[in-house]
Amino acid sequence: MTGAVTPGSGLARALLSVGIALVVAAVIMHLSGYDALSGLAALWAGATGLRAGPPQADGQIAFGAGPFTGHLDVYNLAQSLARSTPLLFTGLSVALGLRAGLFNIGAQGQMIAGALAAAVIGGAGGGTLPGPVHLLLVLCAGALAGAAWGAVPGILRATRGVHEVISTILFNYLATNLATYLVTHGLKDPDPRKMAPQTAAIAPTAHLHPWVAGSNLTAGLLLALVAAMGVACLVRRTSAGFQIRAVGQGLEAARAAGISVPGVMVRAMALAGALAGVAGAIEVMGVHHRYVQGLAGTYGFDGIAVALLGGLNGMGVTLSALFFGALSNGAEFMELETNVPRALAVIVQAIVILCVGVRLARRSLARQVVAAVQDSDEDLLEEEHAGR
Amino acid sequence: MPVGSGETWALSLMVATLYSATPLVLAALGGVLSERAGVINIALEGLILAGAFVGAWAGQSAPIMGLAGAVLAGALIGLLHAFLTQTLRMNPVVSGLGITLLASGVTRYLALRWFEQGFRIDGLPGGLFLGLALILPFVTLLVLHRTRFGVRLRAVGENPESARMAGVAPVPLRYLAVTLSGVLAALAGAYLSMSDAHTFSSNMSAGKGYIALAAVIFGKWHPLGASLGALFFGFFYAVQTQLQISGVQVHWLGVEWTSPFLLDCLPYLMTLAALVSVVGRAVPPAALGKEVE
Repeated sequence: MTGAVTPGSGLARALLSVGIALVVAAVIMHLSGYDALSGLAALWAGATGLRAGPPQADGQIAFGAGPFTGHLDVYNLAQSLARSTPLLFTGLSVALGLRAGLFNIGAQGQMIAGALAAAVIGGAGGGTLPGPVHLLLVLCAGALAGAAWGAVPGILRATRGVHEVISTILFNYLATNLATYLVTHGLKDPDPRKMAPQTAAIAPTAHLHPWVAGSNLTAGLLLALVAAMGVACLVRRTSAGFQIRAVGQGLEAARAAGISVPGVMVRAMALAGALAGVAGAIEVMGVHHRYVQGLAGTYGFDGIAVALLGGLNGMGVTLSALFFGALSNGAEFMELETNVPRALAVIVQAIVILCVGVRLARRSLARQVVAAVQDSDEDLLEEEHAGR
Repeated sequence: MPVGSGETWALSLMVATLYSATPLVLAALGGVLSERAGVINIALEGLILAGAFVGAWAGQSAPIMGLAGAVLAGALIGLLHAFLTQTLRMNPVVSGLGITLLASGVTRYLALRWFEQGFRIDGLPGGLFLGLALILPFVTLLVLHRTRFGVRLRAVGENPESARMAGVAPVPLRYLAVTLSGVLAALAGAYLSMSDAHTFSSNMSAGKGYIALAAVIFGKWHPLGASLGALFFGFFYAVQTQLQISGVQVHWLGVEWTSPFLLDCLPYLMTLAALVSVVGRAVPPAALGKEVE
């Protein structure tokens, strides 16, 4: 494939991509008749919670003095972090797939599968299970359902050669429609007053509780950070991770090294699916306390941008998820305050993908040159890049 | 979709199949052109969306302007995909997804600014696009196999190095192929907004670009094969809509099989089944996705 997607960690170039995208966003706002400065200011305030001027409401913390007084809106910040939580999981899902050379566009469907399974298991037990056991069971249900939904495209790729880009996209549509069918039929909320397409509420023992009152920020964020470290360790330090990277580097070489390529493909896709499935479970446990239609939003697709901007490594994907979570929450705030459509965030995301894509391509070109000059292995190359 | 009261169910299903297949055929032919030249084109989805938007927007003044605008937008976005993948050497899947996301975001943003709630356009008769979908597969076949351009295009998709030895520059040819591919996909979009819906709605392409791409693989990268694949998938779209219109209900094993949500799965499920059964025997162009200098 032209310019294989390779891991990279160019922070400067990632920032440049984000900068370009934000400038383009400002130009679009200006051209379409909005005040770009107040739009960007609202975007920033919604994204970070930081704003100039003294506090105007409860839950805002003042800082600075005199003309440099500002305040932090804890709720806005918490909501941005809450948005980042599923994004970090889906971003890791896409990144893990890409490490094995597989383009997992199916995090969306895997997240839906995980959320639905979590809602079912979360509703079971009726509060008789000890809290921690129930939480763990719900998380496992989400991970397993996501893994199953991810493994099937992996199996189709490994055994039948069906390209995962097409099959995972089809699986997304299947998941969306099947989930909607289930929550309007067999799994529908039994409460006759509730007409919305949703399941029954899960038991309180399966709830994750908000850290900031009224917000969606829960311990899910901690789990996501742990997952990021876990994935990074897996990819870098374990033999399973070595096999995944080897397959991602090239099928011929991996086969020559005695690696079972089909097995690695299926395992990588199952693991990627499990990560996205946990994202769904956490949305159920911490935000909606049931499965509601549209719960997955566009988190799965956004995971692609998160993974690419993050250069496929743990730290990068974490920072990238924090950025896109803040962008998404900020855009909603911006729409409320200045009427600029939140679709602007989608445009920013697309431009970031395209800018970062150029970066990745250049790097892979550099890699080819290096490989031609010396018989280098990946570690050597990574050291070289780390040294810059 | 025209469903006359006097027509038999089978006849209206056939008509519905042809109209459902129309955008898929157009987009699939775009996919064939691009991929036979060696460029993976997952941007089809975004191109359809852009074509639909520009068709609706420019079509407000005069339908012919809508058509021209959609063609121009498709060509420009196709050119962008060619530039990103061939000149900047970006991964074609990244470029395609980025372009699709860009089209999705820009059309959503502008639709809020430019279109009134519930606006309608006169548009163009669906028969026009249907005619194109019936003729263009054969035109594409002739172009690919009987013209110098077509022979060179396939050579570049199979073996760019030999093509270069024979004095054909691969990159300009790929630019041309992807640009034409963009025009065809945008026509598919123009059909959706100008003839089918007579309006524009966000993400109205609804995965048709990806289905078209599956039809290309199903039809083994051959213009007629891909069109037949598109017809096959169009049939299941038609079955789904006809069943919904007819109001028939089938309950079996406690499942409401005629629920719109399950019927919506049908085209995707059949696409998947077709890929699983055919892919092992389908050989893509040898240099598909390969870089050229």
